[in-house]
Amino acid sequence: MKKLIAPLLIGAALSSAFGADDSLKQEIEALKVQMAELKNAQSKINIDALKSQISEIKAHDSGDNIKWTVDLRTAYDVVDYKMNGVQNQDNGIWTNKLILGMASQPADNLIFRGSLGAYKAFGQSNMATNGTMFQSFDWYGTQKPSDSTVKLREAYFIYTGDMGDMPYAASFGRRPSVDGFLANLRNDNESPASPISHNINMEFDGASFKFDMDKMTGISGMYLKLCLGRGFSETTGSYSMGATGFSPSYSEDNQTPDMDLAGLIWQIYDNGQYKVMANYFQAWNMMDINMVSMTDYHFSDVGDLTGGSLALQVNGIGDGISDFLDDSIFFLSYAYSKTDPNDNVIGSSAGPATGMLGSSDSETGSSIYTGVQVPGIMKGQRLGVEYNHGSKYWRSFTYGEDTLVGSKLAARGDAYELYYILPIVGKNLTAQLSYIYIDYDYTGSDTFFGWTGTPQDVDTTAGAVKTAQNIRASLRYRY
Amino acid sequence: MMKKVFGLLVSAFLVLGMMSTSAFADAAKGQKYYLKYMKDGSSMNGAKFATQHTQAEWKALFDGKGEKFIAEYSKKFPGLDAFLKGEKFQKFMPDIRDFCIEFASDSGNVPSC
Repeated sequence: MKKLIAPLLIGAALSSAFGADDSLKQEIEALKVQMAELKNAQSKINIDALKSQISEIKAHDSGDNIKWTVDLRTAYDVVDYKMNGVQNQDNGIWTNKLILGMASQPADNLIFRGSLGAYKAFGQSNMATNGTMFQSFDWYGTQKPSDSTVKLREAYFIYTGDMGDMPYAASFGRRPSVDGFLANLRNDNESPASPISHNINMEFDGASFKFDMDKMTGISGMYLKLCLGRGFSETTGSYSMGATGFSPSYSEDNQTPDMDLAGLIWQIYDNGQYKVMANYFQAWNMMDINMVSMTDYHFSDVGDLTGGSLALQVNGIGDGISDFLDDSIFFLSYAYSKTDPNDNVIGSSAGPATGMLGSSDSETGSSIYTGVQVPGIMKGQRLGVEYNHGSKYWRSFTYGEDTLVGSKLAARGDAYELYYILPIVGKNLTAQLSYIYIDYDYTGSDTFFGWTGTPQDVDTTAGAVKTAQNIRASLRYRY
Repeated sequence: MMKKVFGLLVSAFLVLGMMSTSAFADAAKGQKYYLKYMKDGSSMNGAKFATQHTQAEWKALFDGKGEKFIAEYSKKFPGLDAFLKGEKFQKFMPDIRDFCIEFASDSGNVPSC
């Protein structure tokens, strides 16, 4: 029986093998046809055209949408004050600061940029009502820790064009006016905002008109920018109450002044290594608190203020002397301010007062600011040292400076800063450690422009802050 | 208590310093080198220069030692010839490459003017 089964099985296997061979051949032929069709179809695909299409889609989408950026910083600050005749004060504060940036460019000559900010102390939502009427001031809405309210930091459009050989840009909106030139180094921001931060570093609304003059003059990087701004608006709110009942909405309140500013920013030279910038401004209707009584106080006009600055930055010291010097930055800046008081009599805590910064005469103040930033121990790390000194009547607009003990650049005295920046995940996650020491000569450097700004000797004035220190350790995520 | 918290933070800072990844090429530095060495030769500002190509095109041009970039831009702007064929360009090329890619025509980045 076994003899019969074996040949039968072999026969069956052979016949099926021959059958399979035929079907395989057929399948191979079919595949060959398909391959030829695919090759033919592939040869018709234009890879370059596809690449170009993808680029067009990317460019179109980027122009069609708002591009968002995130900048989140968690910090621990130690603030410490030594005061004259009063117990010293110190405290440790945790904060979160979030800046949401946005930008779009629907056409080549039209750009929108903006940012929203929330800067809060840990677990605190009542800071604005916690013993101060100035916490929510518009000049530093996103630059001082408060509650978690999201505030408008920047919102402006830029329209660009050419007048012959001179490109120009016109812009309206809430300005990019904090963390400007020079302050961008200590704040670890690659691109400085518009003003020279030595004398102007605060938030405000207005307009700017920029004229690029480098082609016309042949001087590298030269431009002139006219800036206009309103730092405070005289108006009532909606449904405001007066002595006779409801007042018309948004009418003049006959109390607070319209505080206006016009300035010129002149970039004299910029070749990537050497940059020289200057500014000059005139500000009208500067204000201070008018204490009519202990329960009735508002802002009143005390006079005008002019000022200016001249700053040099060297980005790369020498030329090829060493990698260290090539990657080092040095800067030096001089600024001044001059008051022009009016005759308005306003109430102060000591009775009626006239003038600006406690004086009925025009007073001139000055400040110098210098610093260096060099490479740190490991690649990408940066070490910075800064110093500034302000005279008795020095007055700046630096309320928006990101320092918890108050603006170091406003100081009438000496201020020192040491900081170290290290990248953890490239530039997307960085850490910074900084130390500021301010040794005041006179009080009133970071207040208003009338009697509250009176310079008083810190050694003879009871309760005056003699020195202030601010140590900050922070982690920052950016994308 | 405050000193303890701050001491802990400083220690954490030092540890982070040892753990941190080294930084790559730097677009901001690239912009600086562009201004210093290339703007005069090309007669256009950095934002305009970078939008001449897409990101993919810049990557291809800077491949290897940037031979294609050097060839194209030496021809286009003879004023750049000496710089592009010199040692400095090779040293700064990674930063200049990053700058061009960052602001390429299809990057989606909006210039700040």
